Amino acid sequence: MTVEDVKREDHGPALMLTNEAVVRAALEADVKVVAAYPGSPTSEILDTFSEVLTHFGDFRMHVAINEKVALETVAGASMAGMRSFTSMKSVGMNVASDSMLSMAYTGLRAGCVCLIADDPHAHSSQSEQDGRYFGEAAYVPMIEPSTAQEAYDMVKWAFEVSERYRTLVIVRTTTRVNHQRGMVRLGDLKRTPFKRKRWADVRDSYFTVGAVARELKARLLEKVKRIREEFEESEFNRVDEGEGDVGIITAGVCYLHVKEAMRNLGVSLPVLKIGTLYPLPERKIADFLKRVSTVIVVEELSPFLETRITALAKDANPSVRIIGKRSGHFPEMLEYNVPIVERVLAGVLGRETSVDYDAVLERAKRAKEGVLPDRAPIFCPGCPHRGTLWAFRQALTRLKIRDKIVFNNDIGCYSMAFLPPNNFSDSMLAMGASVGLSAGMEMALEDKVIAMVGDSTLYHAALPGIVNLIHHNSNVTLFVLDNSVTAMTGQQPNPNSTYDAGHTPARKINMERFFEALGADSVTIIDPYETRECVKPIMEAIQRPGFNVIISRRECALYGDREKKKRGEKIVPSVNDKEVCRNIYACIREFYCPAIVIDESDRKMVIQQDLCDGCLECRQVCPVDAPRRMEVRQ
Amino acid sequence: MKTYNIIFTGVGGQGLMLLSSILGKAAVDAGLEVMTGEQHGLSQRSGSIYVHFRVGEPISPIIPYGTADMMIAMEATEALRYIEYLRDDGVVIMSNRVMPSPIETAELIADKERNYVTLEMIEERVRTVTSRVVVLDSLGLAMKAGNPRTENSVLVGAACACEDFPIPVEKVREAVLALVPPKTRDANSRAFELGLKAGASCLRE
Ligand SMILES: Cc1ncc(C[n+]2csc(CCOP(=O)(O)OP(=O)(O)O)c2C)c(N)n1
Repeated sequence: MTVEDVKREDHGPALMLTNEAVVRAALEADVKVVAAYPGSPTSEILDTFSEVLTHFGDFRMHVAINEKVALETVAGASMAGMRSFTSMKSVGMNVASDSMLSMAYTGLRAGCVCLIADDPHAHSSQSEQDGRYFGEAAYVPMIEPSTAQEAYDMVKWAFEVSERYRTLVIVRTTTRVNHQRGMVRLGDLKRTPFKRKRWADVRDSYFTVGAVARELKARLLEKVKRIREEFEESEFNRVDEGEGDVGIITAGVCYLHVKEAMRNLGVSLPVLKIGTLYPLPERKIADFLKRVSTVIVVEELSPFLETRITALAKDANPSVRIIGKRSGHFPEMLEYNVPIVERVLAGVLGRETSVDYDAVLERAKRAKEGVLPDRAPIFCPGCPHRGTLWAFRQALTRLKIRDKIVFNNDIGCYSMAFLPPNNFSDSMLAMGASVGLSAGMEMALEDKVIAMVGDSTLYHAALPGIVNLIHHNSNVTLFVLDNSVTAMTGQQPNPNSTYDAGHTPARKINMERFFEALGADSVTIIDPYETRECVKPIMEAIQRPGFNVIISRRECALYGDREKKKRGEKIVPSVNDKEVCRNIYACIREFYCPAIVIDESDRKMVIQQDLCDGCLECRQVCPVDAPRRMEVRQ
Repeated sequence: MKTYNIIFTGVGGQGLMLLSSILGKAAVDAGLEVMTGEQHGLSQRSGSIYVHFRVGEPISPIIPYGTADMMIAMEATEALRYIEYLRDDGVVIMSNRVMPSPIETAELIADKERNYVTLEMIEERVRTVTSRVVVLDSLGLAMKAGNPRTENSVLVGAACACEDFPIPVEKVREAVLALVPPKTRDANSRAFELGLKAGASCLRE
């Protein structure tokens, strides 16, 4: 597998996922401190660093509590003279940006690189946020690659730029770049031993306020001017020569769609590929605008480039026709692909697309109609969240208050409570927001306010909101789903784990003790695998006045199975005893386990052995105890 | 060289990524240019997943609609779900396995007359786009090879039986052996040969 290529001692070509190529580049740049919080589409960066940590043994790493702490960690390491790296998903930068805007003022010391990955189409994010504005807003250089090779090249370059100008450098990607696999020409690994520095040798001032801030701002503006000059000459901003007076300006993965669309159409227009989003190569853009009569701007999400190009056109070529989002040619949402770009190019050039994409899509739609069942995301077999949510709903039904509560959900696998069969969640905004929203709702509503967080979200951003609720004597019931890991992004460790990156030991935070210390009115621990037994304690916690916590404790099934395998334990699936089964279907209705299907011959439930995790939550919800452990021959 | 596009589809947990790694290694070892667009991200099992796999001179990581030369589906409904990527008369190599989703199961208990979507219904619809469809009892063949978890090798073997498949069989066979867990090498090797044979006989018909 390609993590072997990350570790390779020699140089040469390798087929790599961009996220792995990024790790290799940082290692070749002799990165010494890494800190990150997981989030798609960047999680494999963290996972890969974690996997090679003990192999190299010459860098240090934290799976950080959140993105702000991760960024501060790598900034601190940089101030201490060590090259450092962090990565985060789009919305992670919202959390980290407070410190990011200040560190632009103070500057840093050793090379410090931050990768942020946007997610057009919101494949696995709560919004389609466009992170390109952060560079400009912070006066921090931002660069954007198109391929795995370019991501590798740019990360290495970013370390140099960062060190040369003593600034953070942001590498901006999108999902289709992070999750692209391509050939990368690796360089040599020249790692140096890890050796602590002395503050006396690297000391500098990183302090900004008032008069100091004003002085630093003036220096920052000077610094940006110098960076702009360097970027103006960078080979990452380049013109691919072509014919005619219609030109294209593009960046990132869209550059690839543009090149393929042109090949399909058999045309070769001049293309200005932008590699530095901030500072932009304004002279190169102006020169390009002067030589064309029409410019097509191809970029996903907001008209970031288009707006700036339009401003530059005012002086460079006021009569140039700009085709983009504001002209109505391209959408301001969702992902682009070759067909979307090809259609616009074909339209502008008065040609036919190479394939009748509309006909293809229409034919596919007809083929699927009335036959293709939905396959929405669902809790895995053995997931403890399934049992917790079932017991939660039972408790509400028994208390007859399903319509008299508000349920603020949070970010994690349990967000899927919003989907069938639960169809249940009144809000979900951002990590930790459930407890903040609960404070306002608790003041404004007659209803019982209930919030839910996972263990990772608890530490990431919910803690301040929880202290706030307790301090203000709020009547809120809080579920904490303690499944040992940050499940949704690939089961990374968090402060609730006994280990850190690379399975190095870490201290597990005892959450029931801190809830007590904070003054919670009650803390009840339940086991979702004892699903029936969970209902009563949940009813009590909901009815009790004050701030009451229910900790639902059972490890993530995917993580638990992996640990079991390591220990040499077998997973014993369950069977449904058809003699006992009375077709009540409690195991199907409001439960939705992927291992459970119907036998069409007798309409009884059957458990698919190869999918079953043996959790027996289905037995717990069955009024006649029909599912049971499969007999295994020893 | 013309670019050869393959789309892999299946259900989370079926080992699609291994399939893609095997063909990726084989293609690179054969000196071919490869690019993939993969779907990582949310880690739940049982969701619908795909990998875009391109050999030759790919530029974009995502296959344009209507241009995939081949589809390898580890589950039948997942073949139909991404059928817009297939070109006219592209090859579909699909497992005969239909994994009902819990939504469908819930619909069955709500309506006693209803049954699950069948392989035949899916195949009929897939055939509205192409006549070159290979349906394999991939699990049965994997069991015959001695390990139910060798289904990917069966499907990869069948893909190699296709006459315009751009990666040499020998390279694919080597990649299978290099990337599967060492203990399962023999079973995977048998599974690969069974797939190759089954694919060849279907495609000749
Ligand atoms: C600011 C921010 N960072 C990262 C993410 C990505 N993310 C989505 S779910 C999740 C995991 C939450 O873990 P936990 O609360 O423990 O729930 P679990 O998935 O384990 O049930 C993360 C990190 C995000 N949505 N927002």
